[in-house]
This record gives sequence, C-alpha cells and structure tokens, in this order.
Amino acid sequence: MKNQSEKYETIISLLRKSKPVLDSTDEIERVVLKRIKIVHRSGLYLSELVDLLFGWVYIGWVRRSLIAASAALVLVFVYQQGVILKRIDVLSKQTVIIDKEKTTTPDTEIEKLLMTYKNAGRKFPFNTVTLSERQMDELLESIKELQIKYKDLEDLIEGDPELKKLIEQKLIESNRNKINL
Amino acid sequence: MRRKSIILTVSIILLIIESCDEPETVVTNYVHPDGSVTRKIEMRNSKNNFKKADLQVPFDSTWTVKDSLEISQKGDTTWIKRAQKQFKNIDEINLEYKADSGANKDVLRHAGFKKSFKWFNTEFRFSERIEKTMSFGYPVKDFLNKEELLYFYSPGSLKNEKETSPDSLKYKALSDSVKHKTDTWVIRNLVSEWIGKFSDLISVRAGNDIKRELLKGQEEKFAEIFQAHEEKFDSLWSNDFFLKKFIGEDNAIKYKVEADSAMNIATNKIFINFKDYSVQIVMPGKLIGTNGFIDSSGVLLWPVKSDYFLTEPYEMWAESKIPNTWAWIVSGLFVVFVLTGVTMRILKKG
Repeated sequence: MKNQSEKYETIISLLRKSKPVLDSTDEIERVVLKRIKIVHRSGLYLSELVDLLFGWVYIGWVRRSLIAASAALVLVFVYQQGVILKRIDVLSKQTVIIDKEKTTTPDTEIEKLLMTYKNAGRKFPFNTVTLSERQMDELLESIKELQIKYKDLEDLIEGDPELKKLIEQKLIESNRNKINL
Repeated sequence: MRRKSIILTVSIILLIIESCDEPETVVTNYVHPDGSVTRKIEMRNSKNNFKKADLQVPFDSTWTVKDSLEISQKGDTTWIKRAQKQFKNIDEINLEYKADSGANKDVLRHAGFKKSFKWFNTEFRFSERIEKTMSFGYPVKDFLNKEELLYFYSPGSLKNEKETSPDSLKYKALSDSVKHKTDTWVIRNLVSEWIGKFSDLISVRAGNDIKRELLKGQEEKFAEIFQAHEEKFDSLWSNDFFLKKFIGEDNAIKYKVEADSAMNIATNKIFINFKDYSVQIVMPGKLIGTNGFIDSSGVLLWPVKSDYFLTEPYEMWAESKIPNTWAWIVSGLFVVFVLTGVTMRILKKG
C-alpha cells in the first residue's frame, strides 16, 4: 500500500515538473474568459426575455383571462365572417342582374373618343358618341360656312364661261382617270 | 265633386302632355368611407328644356353642370344635363331635400348614413327614404305574392326585357295579375283613407252615431261597390249613390260635407304630384346587403315611383364593409402569443 502511494506521489511530482510550454498564456486566458462570458450572457438574456414575455403563464388569473380573450377573438372572427359570407350568398341569390337602365356616363375625354373611333372600325357608333353643345354648334356653323362658300364658287363658275369650260375639262379628265384606276 | 273630376281629368291630360317634356333622371350617390357623398344627377330630355319645376331632385347653381347631347342612329337628339356636387355629409343632402322646390317637393325625402366599427370590419349603411303619403292605407305586400312583389318593384327596363323574352307569355300574365291586384289595392286604400278621414271629421259632431269600427267592418263591401262602378265613379259620387249605400239616405244628407271633404283628402293623397326617377348607389368596399337591383356594372339601382310610398315608407338601402387589416394583424399576433405561452407552460410541466 505504501509502495503504491509512493509511486503515485512520484508520478504527480514528475507531471508537475514537466509543465507544457505556452507561448502566450495571457492570450489564452483572455479568449477563455471571453467565451465563458458570451455563453453566460446569452443564456441570461434569453431566459430574461422569455420570463418577461411569458411570465404571465405562471399567474393563474392572467393566464385564464388571456386565453379567454384570444378564444373570444377567434369566435368573434368566425361569427363575423360567417354572417358576412351568408349575407353575400343571400345577396347573390336575391338580386337580379339587369342591364343599366340609365347610366351616368363618364366625362368625354378625347382619348376615349379616339379609342371608340378606332375600335368601331373608324366609324362613330352614333348611339354612343357624345358631343357637347358647343362642339355641335361649331359643327353646324362650319357646315353652313361650307355651303356659303360652295354657293359663291358655283356663282363664280357660272359667271365665267372660260373657267366653266376649264373646270368641265378637268372633271372629265378626272373621271377618266378614275375609270382607268 | 264634378268640378274636381274635371280638374282631375284636365290635370291628367296636362300631365301626359307635360310628361313628354319631363327629363328622365338618374341620381347616383357615390358614398365615401368618411360619410361624404358625391352626388351625380343625369337628366335626359328630347328637348333642351330643364326647368327647375320639372326636375325630380333638388338641384341648384352650387352644382357643377355639364351640358351635352347625343344623336341616335335614327337622328334623334337627346339633350343631357349632368350635374355633380360633393356633400360633406348626409345632413347637407337632407337640407337640400328640405329646401326643394322642384317637381317632387310634396314628398318627404331624406338620406341616412351609418358607420359601425366592428373590430375586424367597418360596416357602412346608406339609405334614401321617402315617407308614406297615406295615413290609413294597406301595405302592397298584403295584396301581392313574392313573385308579384318583385315584379312590382322592378325597374322598367327589366320588365320590358322579361316581357319580350322567350317567357313573354308568363311575364305578360304576371304583369296583368299585378295590374289587376294593384288596382284592387288602390281602391281599397281609397276606401280605407276615406273611412279614416270621414270618421275623424264626423267624430267632432254631436249626436254622431257612425263609428269608425262600423265603417271598417263594411270596408270590403264598399271597395267592391267602388270597383264595380269604377268607370262612373265621379257621377255616382256626385249623386250620393255611394254615400247612400254606405251610410244610409239620412246620414248621406246629414254628413254630405264631411264625406266630400274626406274624399277630396283621400284622392289627393293617392294622386300626388310626383315625377318618377331612378336612384343609384355606389358603396365603399364590399357590398353585403341591399334591397335594390344590381346592374351589369355592379351599380345598385332603384326605380322611384309614387305607388311605392303610398302606404309604406320606401327605403332604398345598401350595406357594405371594409376589412380593418390592422385589426386582423393585431388579433392574429395576440392569439399566436397566447398559444405560444400556453404551449411553453405545457412543455415545461411535461
């Protein structure tokens, strides 16, 4: 027994005498301490946060109240949406889809008019074109002006036989060209 | 009474002549979530004639007006007056109704708006209501079945469409049935109103032995007599034919003045001055309820005719909702939070 104890002491003293050679003990100490600190700190923060947020689960009346409140919210949501869906369903069955009786048409914009013109094969669909009173007056005025100018031109041609002859010749030529085409 | 009859006949003729010139009017209410309403009126007439006295809805110089015209393929010209006004709230609309001096000034009309916060959704209700004109009339639903009622309240275009559809025979029969039953309803209302007014007038006279209950008990019989002699109504009333049949010869002489006055009041309540028009409502958010018709563009539509508010108030209403996204998120997070807490506790316990 004594022999064994002596052997043990000898080994320990040998181990103590043969220490590892370390180049930067300070650096090792710093890194070790830093790692310990990080592990310790993060564990502390998370548990603190969890305790702070969910501490109420350990208080009976708060826990029961919050569970009741969330259940009430779910029930209200289900009930409200159920009622609304039912009403929409009833609405789709009871109402009659019809064509517009009279509609308030949008203000006429030039783009819309042009689009209508384009879509209608460059022909204005009469029942859909909307002209303002001013535009209509302008149109009528220009037609009237055109008629007056035409009448003046007719009088001028009638009063000058040479001009009449010239125009007639031109018209005949023009007609001939049309036939050739 | 004879004079009244002549006046009535002339008035009807004038009304028919005048109605050719009266504008076809559509009022559109664009309801906004804050309770403000953009109101648009579209009036169409074959002549460029939009007299204030002919207009069905209140309209004045404070509105933004745009005039235009349309030419049909046949060359017919339709003059269109479009007016628009932004109302801060329905009180402003109601003020305009109160100050109305147009064609329908004799009827009581008002608008209503209600906004209800219901956590997950905010609901809106907009209505236009016309008060009833008669005091002793019967609701039309007592005379028409469900299908006939739907037809009765349908817009003209829908009626025309159905009467020219492959099921035209069915709808013509329905139309005839509605016409016949509404004629009966009008006569019954006339009798009921006359009984009510006549009872009120004679109740103040001493020695009055005619009670309202007694007359009411004979109401159906009176209505049948009226209907049987409908065509000669005026002359027979003037001759006291009806009155003698209803209350006896002695009472007919005794209460002649009251009976005539009551009949004047009753006829004025039935044949009121009113020009038809249409109401449209565009609600904010998703539509969840209405008693109107929905057209192809999703706009709600109601025809407004004097028959609709003779005996019952005519309310055109629509309800819609807008979801409160923030409330959905808050509620969702709250429920998840509570569930997480409870789950954690169960896990720790386990």
